[in-house]
Amino acid sequence: MTIIIAILQAILLVVVAPLISGIARKIRAKMHSRKGTSILQDYYDLAKLMKRSEVREGGSGIISRLMPPIFLGCFVLIAAGLPLVMQACPIPMLGDMITILYLMALPRFMFALASIDSAGSYTAIGGIRELLVGVLVEPSLILVLFVMASAVGSTNVGLMSTAVANLQATPLVAVVVAGVACAMACYIEMGKLPFDMAEAEQEIQEGPLAAYSGPSLAMLKLGVSLKQVVVASLLVCIFLPFGSAPTLAPLDILIGFLVFVAKVLVVFLIASVIENSAMRARYKILGRYTWFVVGIASLSLVFLIIGI
Amino acid sequence: MDMIGYPLVNALGACLIITSMTVVLAKTMRASAFLYSFQSLMLVAILASLGFVTSSSELFTWSATAFVTKVVLVPAILLFTLKKIGGDAHADLLPKINSMKAVALVAVEVFVCFVAVSGIELPTAAEVKPTLAVALAHFFIGLTCIVIQRSIFKQIFGYCLMENGSHVALALLAPQAPELVEIGVATDAIFAVIILSVLVWRMGHYAHTLDADDLCELKG
Repeated sequence: MTIIIAILQAILLVVVAPLISGIARKIRAKMHSRKGTSILQDYYDLAKLMKRSEVREGGSGIISRLMPPIFLGCFVLIAAGLPLVMQACPIPMLGDMITILYLMALPRFMFALASIDSAGSYTAIGGIRELLVGVLVEPSLILVLFVMASAVGSTNVGLMSTAVANLQATPLVAVVVAGVACAMACYIEMGKLPFDMAEAEQEIQEGPLAAYSGPSLAMLKLGVSLKQVVVASLLVCIFLPFGSAPTLAPLDILIGFLVFVAKVLVVFLIASVIENSAMRARYKILGRYTWFVVGIASLSLVFLIIGI
Repeated sequence: MDMIGYPLVNALGACLIITSMTVVLAKTMRASAFLYSFQSLMLVAILASLGFVTSSSELFTWSATAFVTKVVLVPAILLFTLKKIGGDAHADLLPKINSMKAVALVAVEVFVCFVAVSGIELPTAAEVKPTLAVALAHFFIGLTCIVIQRSIFKQIFGYCLMENGSHVALALLAPQAPELVEIGVATDAIFAVIILSVLVWRMGHYAHTLDADDLCELKG
């Protein structure tokens, strides 16, 4: 039964991801006083790209070919394992925080590898930017999840979710501070401004995407929007699991589903507003922002140690 | 009562740390003054809840005087000074280290203080030990604020934070102490702030800068 939920929630996130990024684009357009494209624009783009034939760069190897499916696949796997609708993980094996962290690191690694593999010279710089963001934000995320694991006594995200939902995660202040740090880390991980992977503004920032076309590009674009939804869901399912289904009763599942959609939409709404009031930063100064996140994450660790 | 009392004191202690960080990190001095007022409100809440837990009537008197002096009067004096200084006060004086790194520094300080107080036996209760660590950490946070801030006005906040730390430490270590003893620790803060404000105002008036580095050149 739970496996069906896992598959359904993975499919749901994949289907909904372009819609959510479309809504984010619409919000951006509205804030710029533009009319903006339809919120379904991302679906049209994907459909068009799927029909196009694939053009490969001369000189690029197997890594470049493997990267798009691995990128998409990792995030689909995380989406299947997270406790989104229920409080417990639908597939407990995939709900372990170490598995999740590695499943998030693998696409980034492949992405950077593909950027070197490409024959273009700009792609490598884009790959470095992506790696740099990873290096800066992942320690905070690991620290936050470590705090939660110690507070709850398990590395399973589902148990964290259950404990937080029943207000049993102690010490309380450490958990709240960890939640704030996690929200910041997730915002960076979502790749929103100023930590973004730009759509088409500057070739350098687009990075390895510049070397792809056709179905591969479609897979990557879907993967990037799916990543945003997955990261937002990670935040929601660990720190805001209120309303998720405690049992497998159909009514609970339905309520859990509706509440989950509402929570993710609110997270995206807030993220879009912040994104549009920030400016793009040169990647060398990104460290300044991430120091703040590291600071808050270490504060939560200290609160955990001293027990408040 | 004890079931929620001590965790409440500890949670308020954590709020004290967070608010003092916002005081140090606030961009404008006006915001710092308001945040300091908010922090003192947390202090008042700690004193009052400690009063409930230890059923000590003195602590309620403390919290009342702390409310008048620290929540109302000290921020009012600071805001008034800021208004008096005028334009010079709003010059952009960045801290000496990246203020984002200061958060990590504060976390380290709190941890070190916790290790330091772990050997102390408290007369109130072992449960509020984290709060004692917080109180001790406030000395270091205040010191950090004084060391990293260029603006001499902002350095006053460093002093105020230290003052709040000593106030909490006193409440934890001597909850039954009468108001008269407490005057030397809590109420004198207001006089110190008045003197410091006058000094800052005079310096700003003559040198047209609040930058501590620039003022160092005014020797002799």
